[in-house]
Amino acid sequence: MINSKKVVLVGHFGVGKTSIIRRFVDDVFTDDYKVTIGVHILKKEIEVNGQKLTFVIWDLEGKDDVEKVRKSHLIGTSGFMYVIDPTRSSTYVNIESEIAYLKSNYPSAQLLTIANKVDLIDKKEFKKQINYPIDFFTSAKTSKNVEEIFNKLGLNFLNNI
Amino acid sequence: MTDSEKLVKLKQLLLNEDRDFALQILQKLESVEKTLNEEELLSEKVNPIIDKKIETFADEIPSKLGPTITEALKIQIRDSQDQVVEALFPIIGKMIKKYIQQEMKNLSESINSQVQSTFSIKKWKRKFKSFFTGVSEESIILSEMAKPNVEQVFIIEKGSGLLIANVSKSQENIDKDMIAGMLTAIKSFVEDAFTKEEQSLELIQYELYNIYIQNMSSYYVAAVISGSFNTEFKDELEDKILDFASKHKKEKLVEDSKVTNKLIESLFND
Repeated sequence: MINSKKVVLVGHFGVGKTSIIRRFVDDVFTDDYKVTIGVHILKKEIEVNGQKLTFVIWDLEGKDDVEKVRKSHLIGTSGFMYVIDPTRSSTYVNIESEIAYLKSNYPSAQLLTIANKVDLIDKKEFKKQINYPIDFFTSAKTSKNVEEIFNKLGLNFLNNI
Repeated sequence: MTDSEKLVKLKQLLLNEDRDFALQILQKLESVEKTLNEEELLSEKVNPIIDKKIETFADEIPSKLGPTITEALKIQIRDSQDQVVEALFPIIGKMIKKYIQQEMKNLSESINSQVQSTFSIKKWKRKFKSFFTGVSEESIILSEMAKPNVEQVFIIEKGSGLLIANVSKSQENIDKDMIAGMLTAIKSFVEDAFTKEEQSLELIQYELYNIYIQNMSSYYVAAVISGSFNTEFKDELEDKILDFASKHKKEKLVEDSKVTNKLIESLFND
């Protein structure tokens, strides 16, 4: 059996998708913003409930509309992470329709909504501004909740086998 | 005791301690002066400090001076290209010449040893081939040497790009899962970019290697080939892969990667 899972991070430009992956895979963070062009693929093995899982993580370039993402990059995905930047409302203003699009086109995939850069905001204030449930508040900079989101995805995979 | 004697006694009592202290300082000063003035003594003290400094400096050269040296070299090369070419040309020329001579020597030795292997069946086959085709034996050997070889085979799930199985002739430290993912991303990019007709990426050339891709319904096979990849070899490989695919469905292949790895060994040509 293949214990590998394709995990794809989607979201607007500059929300911190690459930073989250780099923090998770290499445990590094840099303030320099380098835009992702096309796709970058990384891998990490984790253990969830004593079971080994290999995450092949697809770091896609940011798009302001998820429908513009190359479909061939999304096919076969086991888990999506929809990442937003709570300091920029443009990155989450259409979250509801974007998530609906992913859920209807990839119904078997797990999905987590993630608000990155939590170190820069007042969480209570932010929650008043968004009407959509956010699963995790992360910070690639401080590494808050980064491990947790991948573990949660791993747990969801195991529970859905 | 007279008054003056009393005064001397009093001085002795009051100043004796200070005098001793002054004497000690004087001795220390003399010792320091001696150390400073005598080279041998001074180097004994200073050399370990200098050595340590040099050691630290040497360690830090790549990080501290590296970018400056690179920048200086860049400017120097840009500003005096002719001089650089003039200086490097003979050295690089000699290196290339030597390398080619060595490779030619190896090739010639290899051809000679194959020609001279008297009892080999291959040799007689080659002699017949040479006799009937009119192509010299050396040329036949040369073409045999550039024969294409399957070096590595990947079986990759379509869409997800997840690796189902992989067999490699050599033990390389490459991450097969990431290669499978990137191959899929490249493949899908090319196929998306040229959507006029239903076509798929078939071959990637990478310096000395060719990556041949054969699509099946739910997975694809990528074979890394060294040597000269020609139509005859492509047809042969295509037949082998199609034969493999007709015998093994994806569901079976993903069950046990060890069994699958054994199965794909049939795709290698020797």
